[in-house]
Amino acid sequence: MLRSLIAAVGFTLTLAACGGRNAATSDVGPLEPIDAVAIEQLLATSDQPVLLNVWASWCGPCRSEAPLLREANAEFGDSVWFIGIDVRDRQEGAQGFITEFGLDGFTHLFDASGSVPASLGGFGVPLTFFFAAGGELSHLHSGVIDERTLALQIDELLQP
Amino acid sequence: MEFTLLGAVTVAAGLMYVVLRYEGGRTNAADCTRDVWDGLVSAAVVGLVVGRLAAMLQAGTNPISHPGDILIVRGGVDTVAASLAAVVTYLVMTRQDVWWLADAAAPAAVAGLAGWHGGCLMREACLGTSSDLPWAIAQTGSAITRHPVEIYAALLLVAATVGFLWWKRHRPLSGVIAAAAVATAAVVRLVTEPMRPGIGGDQSWWYALAATIAGAVIVWRVIPDTSPVDGAAEST
Repeated sequence: MLRSLIAAVGFTLTLAACGGRNAATSDVGPLEPIDAVAIEQLLATSDQPVLLNVWASWCGPCRSEAPLLREANAEFGDSVWFIGIDVRDRQEGAQGFITEFGLDGFTHLFDASGSVPASLGGFGVPLTFFFAAGGELSHLHSGVIDERTLALQIDELLQP
Repeated sequence: MEFTLLGAVTVAAGLMYVVLRYEGGRTNAADCTRDVWDGLVSAAVVGLVVGRLAAMLQAGTNPISHPGDILIVRGGVDTVAASLAAVVTYLVMTRQDVWWLADAAAPAAVAGLAGWHGGCLMREACLGTSSDLPWAIAQTGSAITRHPVEIYAALLLVAATVGFLWWKRHRPLSGVIAAAAVATAAVVRLVTEPMRPGIGGDQSWWYALAATIAGAVIVWRVIPDTSPVDGAAEST
């Protein structure tokens, strides 16, 4: 039993050592600031459905969902507008996060005060809002989003 | 781990335990319940961890530099890696009598899977692709009705569990029930997969491969050994 456990731990560590993406020097420029009024205007004038993800570079759970959001952006980026709102963060941290997870397909905006998600009815980080074209809120997911929820809510947005 | 997932895990473990307790002294030896339970729980835990690590590696996150992320199970668990790790763990733990103990665990494991899928009710994650069928349901605030795909999977697996319990009473060859359980789990996943909205690659062929291998094991166990017995040639 002990030998099996040691073998399992060794296997796990070997697996773990195989992967990993290091943050390269960021080519991402400073994020444009946004406030509650501007985001509502942005959403109201969008002719595409919008997936709005609230994140921060200091937020552990945001790291977990970032790769999934990158995949979703690659698959649905033509039909859904992906917006990222970085809250209560530093510009350097934000740029590093975007580079590390390859989230450059998003439109990222900077909310130093954290007032934008509160104005949209959300609390905490991460949050994922799903808006129909024209800005009507379709769904708000609080916490780390999983693949099924993300796929389902995007499908809801894209249904005629 | 979030509480909704914990709820689904509890339902899965509870169903697994109920089936094992039912089988003790009936279709399983009375004294093996604890060993099988330990094996199943260990296999599930190892499977979960390996599946989570595999998902992190695929996403480009290094688990060593971000060990805390391993606990955020909702971030994704690779089903194929988790299943393989769970099966291997159980086989290693029961290597003294693999076939017999695999059969002992099979209905309980399938019931546990049914519980996991049925736990979607707590996670609000039962719905799949859109459908006009009479039993299709819509999520709150939506007019789009959808397949309750996780309920389909749960019901199919519950039916399979009942079938395996009945089959075990007829004393099939050792290993056949376990292989049939793996094949059933794979086929249920394969059948329901097209009704699951997803992002990224399709893993259907992995499930097809698992079903094929399990089917081959059944055939191997069922076909009688026709090799000549030692000394048979001389005696004729």
